[in-house]
Amino acid sequence: MNVSDLSAPPRGQGVLIPLLLALLVFVGLPALLAGFDRGYFYQIANLALIFVLLSASMHLVTGVAGLLHLGHAAFYGVGAYTAALLSTKFGLGFTATLPLSGLVAALIAFLVALPTMRLVSIYFAVATLAIGQMLYLVMLNWVELTKGPNGIIVTKGLELFGFSLSGRLATYYTVAAVVTLCVLAIGRLSHSYYGNALRSIREDDQCADAMGVSTARLKMEAFTLSAFFAGVAGSLWAHMTGYISPGDFKFSESILILAMVVVGGLGSLPGAVIGALLLILLPEGLRAFGDFRNIMVGLVMFLSILLLPKGLLGEVSALQLARRQLGAAWRNTVKGEGIGWR
Amino acid sequence: MIDPYYLQQLAIGLSLGMTYALMAIGFTLIFGVLNVVNFAHGEVYTLGAFAGLVLISATAPPVFAVIFAALAIGALAGFSLERVAFKPFRRFTDEASLKSRAMRESTLLSSLAVSIVVREALEIVFGSQMRSVPFEYLINTPVRVGPVILVTGDFIIFGVAAAMLAGLQYLLTRTRIGLSIRAVSNNPLGAKYVGIDTDRTIIMTFVVGSMMGAAAGILTGLYYGAIFPAMGFVPGIKAFVAMVMGGLSSIPGAVICALILGISESMATTFVSSGWSDMVAYGFLILTLIFFPNGLFGARRERV
Repeated sequence: MNVSDLSAPPRGQGVLIPLLLALLVFVGLPALLAGFDRGYFYQIANLALIFVLLSASMHLVTGVAGLLHLGHAAFYGVGAYTAALLSTKFGLGFTATLPLSGLVAALIAFLVALPTMRLVSIYFAVATLAIGQMLYLVMLNWVELTKGPNGIIVTKGLELFGFSLSGRLATYYTVAAVVTLCVLAIGRLSHSYYGNALRSIREDDQCADAMGVSTARLKMEAFTLSAFFAGVAGSLWAHMTGYISPGDFKFSESILILAMVVVGGLGSLPGAVIGALLLILLPEGLRAFGDFRNIMVGLVMFLSILLLPKGLLGEVSALQLARRQLGAAWRNTVKGEGIGWR
Repeated sequence: MIDPYYLQQLAIGLSLGMTYALMAIGFTLIFGVLNVVNFAHGEVYTLGAFAGLVLISATAPPVFAVIFAALAIGALAGFSLERVAFKPFRRFTDEASLKSRAMRESTLLSSLAVSIVVREALEIVFGSQMRSVPFEYLINTPVRVGPVILVTGDFIIFGVAAAMLAGLQYLLTRTRIGLSIRAVSNNPLGAKYVGIDTDRTIIMTFVVGSMMGAAAGILTGLYYGAIFPAMGFVPGIKAFVAMVMGGLSSIPGAVICALILGISESMATTFVSSGWSDMVAYGFLILTLIFFPNGLFGARRERV
């Protein structure tokens, strides 16, 4: 990239796109949903938002740090089961289960990451696949705790410090607010020095190691963080639908999330969001022609790898976008010696 | 004196392990030649089983014709799989890009995508429910050997698999195509320089590997009597585990580890419910990755 590209555009432009997006998510869509007023549309909107969060959290590991993660849905499941068990066995509400399920998922991710994070490339992918399948088997077979294939019915809906938010519109707003906050956090993480360190692992882990970047530790942190956000998504899912079963967290769901990140563009957060929306909404839109959801996922994934290897919104354009949004931080340099995002 | 029950579990484990071994060979051959993992291998297994089922329901052929049909479909599946999911990503032929990370990851994802499409297409055509194999084709007539009761399937699976392994050994060491497969997996660029058609060799590798996988599919289908579109997933992972345990590109290693896996799995069902027995394979995989990153039988190799 040459330096003149890096000069920031005028102020003001940086707030336009986020403002428009926020308007769309918090005013435009709810108005549309209220206009149609059908539970089905609310359900789809919430599902899409939850998958946006899942895809964004996987973006942190697979896109930014370049580690192929084939067991993400299992951590989503850990979050969902934590929320369900805490609320059915201990009567905790959504306010308490939301952070707790994130933390439990992160804790489990941390524990399994301890021995496995030194692995690289395909070995890492295989290890995450095995971890994901092991967690899935626990959900399926530990009948005393998880009720196995029968699943758990969660009676408590969404609430905030005791205020019930279980109406359709209130549910949508809660899910949207949580997802937006988490995606913002992931965005700041991936567009910071921290994100750059993760990118260095992706580009050349041996070189990064030699330069003093602690790759094993960074991998572990990225893995744990992404599991935290997946756990949060799981808690949203458990309280939103009121029923969870192991089938929601199996290998094909991990692949679905992976496909979202790949279709959107590896390494690009807006891409991950777009990929999630595309892969949830497209099959729903084509439902009239039969249940082609999974075959659609496969086809879209294959065609995008073949025809758009960089994804719908690839990393380079996403980074340019981010630079415009975070222009002030980029400009804020010592005597004009720009060195990047702080 | 060992309880005959354990001997019986041992025999079942051996035949189970043999089907994993057939699958694992496909993974190993392809990994050796291209240095990539073929995630669609489980679907080849399913396709083999369905090819046999379709033939059985259309006509009433002898069992060996069914196995040959599965082999033919496996060869076809391997060929088209290579053309669809692997060839388009092999745009450059120098060694750096042949073994590059981008190539590895894009083919991994594309084979994953193809496997989803194939599985879902099978579900649309045949339905996602289990389809049972006609009774007269089931290979589970009990046979008494000393104190142990086995079924004919154990012998047929063991025999067919052993014959195929011997055939593979002959192919790899005694024929021109086997020589070129070994040459390409040793050094793709060098093989090209001495005039080996690498492209054709890669296709042949897929064909041979997929025939093994399809044979495993139809044998397991006839043994358990149930054929369904998602049947390839679990054996695919088991075979993959065997390959990693065996050291990624070592065929004897993969076969031995597949047998170990099969036996320990069938022994594990003695102590825990069958739902948990899949845990054995994943546990083995994690332990191998942590303690023997090169596999149990792998030579020291360049870090991938």
